Amino acid sequence: MSGAALRRANLEALVEAQGATRATPPLLLSADPYFDLAGEEFGRRLLLTTDATGAEYCLRPDFTLPIVKAYIENGVGKPAAFSYLGPIFRQRNTGAAQFDQAGIELLAQPDGDVALDQVLTFARAALSIYGVAPQFRLGGVGLFEALLAQADMPDAWRPRIRNRFGHTEALNRLLTRLEAAPDLPREAQPSRDELVEDVTAQMVAAGLSLSDGRTPDEIADRYLEQQALDAALVPPATLKLLRDYLAISGPVLQALTQIEALAAGHKLMLGAPIRALRRHLNGLGEAKVSFDAGFSPRLDYYTGIVFELTGQSGAILASGGQYDRLLERLGATAPIAASGCSVWVDRLEAEVAP
Amino acid sequence: MSGITLAVPSKGRLEELTRDWFASKGLTITRPGGARSYLGAIDGMPEVTVRFFPASEIARELIRGSIDIGVTGLDLIHETSETGPASVSIASRLGFGQADCVVAVPEAWIDVTHMHDLADVASDFRARHGRWLRIATKYITITRQHFARAGIAEYRTVESLGATEAAPASGVADIVVDITTTGSTLAANGLRVLEDGVMLKSEACLIVSRTAGWSPERRAIRDQMLARLGVTAEV
Repeated sequence: MSGAALRRANLEALVEAQGATRATPPLLLSADPYFDLAGEEFGRRLLLTTDATGAEYCLRPDFTLPIVKAYIENGVGKPAAFSYLGPIFRQRNTGAAQFDQAGIELLAQPDGDVALDQVLTFARAALSIYGVAPQFRLGGVGLFEALLAQADMPDAWRPRIRNRFGHTEALNRLLTRLEAAPDLPREAQPSRDELVEDVTAQMVAAGLSLSDGRTPDEIADRYLEQQALDAALVPPATLKLLRDYLAISGPVLQALTQIEALAAGHKLMLGAPIRALRRHLNGLGEAKVSFDAGFSPRLDYYTGIVFELTGQSGAILASGGQYDRLLERLGATAPIAASGCSVWVDRLEAEVAP
Repeated sequence: MSGITLAVPSKGRLEELTRDWFASKGLTITRPGGARSYLGAIDGMPEVTVRFFPASEIARELIRGSIDIGVTGLDLIHETSETGPASVSIASRLGFGQADCVVAVPEAWIDVTHMHDLADVASDFRARHGRWLRIATKYITITRQHFARAGIAEYRTVESLGATEAAPASGVADIVVDITTTGSTLAANGLRVLEDGVMLKSEACLIVSRTAGWSPERRAIRDQMLARLGVTAEV
């Protein structure tokens, strides 16, 4: 067996050895759920096609969504584990549009920590098949959410900041805007009733539906909230806290120590999410591990810990984490613990020295 | 192939202005077969074949490299492909065909004046209305790139091939991304351009393909023509 075939067989064996149901979702999937879940940003990567009725389909761009959807349709609640290895299809700047991914999905497991450990172990094992000594990059979504919930600021700013987490420039722009706090004299605002009346008149004049999209109430409320926000400043100390926190990036133990110091200085209770991170470090063995406070996928269903593994070339070879909000997004009625990862098989093969 | 191809917009005002611009530089573009012929020439430059194409096809073929030099709108270069701007070199802006690609929201959205307001509205739109914020546009590539830079991911585009400005009133979309010269069509439809909503300032440009095969011989013809026009290109 040649080197590549042997590695492939070993990966196949690893996927089979997860004590999980082997998932083989169809290659042709309805495109709507992907647009619904991940928006246009991901949508532009899809390979789309249309049937005679105009319904849009895509070639399977990942395994997670069809696996999780099928799980929800079969009735949620029971712990379940799925593993996969097979082709997915995405538009990419470089490389073929068809390539293989392997991975696991652990759903509704009784202990989220244990589940994440299994995911991390799977990712390391997959990389070791290809002889890659990985560099782990960890991110703490749960940690940032805990910090944000406790930091001193008007409540209305919290979702605005959370929404930009993971998009460095957008978050940076928002913080800059908050730092340059408007010192403008406030004009007297019209009453809410007057605003609603005014907005309604404008919408009717423009022929807009008053119920289908944004309503006059919603616009007036947000307008007033906006005015109030401009007046309700985020304290400079909080802005500095956010800046200092987001700048933390480096070897994981050093980074966590910095965060603990920051938390102590600002009287924040971040013990639980920091301990959760520390618990997983033992399992990572000799790997180089860094923590990047601003690192998060740009999808709001990620929750606790997220990670990426890179090799020599700097390419991302595996990524995953915890996404306890995903099942809810897809129709489950309550949050359900979920974690998993996917491994980029073609990039792994490219890491193997010729 | 030893000659080079120059593509000129095939009809109307753009063709006229393009030929005027070349004439002002001393190059006369002829179209011997009249408006029904799609082949022309430049007086005194027999190595250059002039072809008349719709502007959007010129953009596409410049990016692919099957046309060497062409006149088309910058917006079309950006819209045709994400790799469009990198595949061509802008030799000169021509000073006509100006239009801005803009983000416009209903006038009634008094709380939305900047892209960051739109980011806030988009982020909880689905929770409030059970669907994503919808953007009508024919500029899907430009929209995706610009919105990604603004950190807005929570929206869907609705492809609109005409009368985009009517989409909010007809209930097809909430806001629009459209091309405008004066903003008056948008305003007449109750839409307002965001203060930082200009995504691209477009105009007609003389554009050189980077992906065309540039043999030394063809390069010489190209540089001779560009020199006569008083422009240069980084290819």
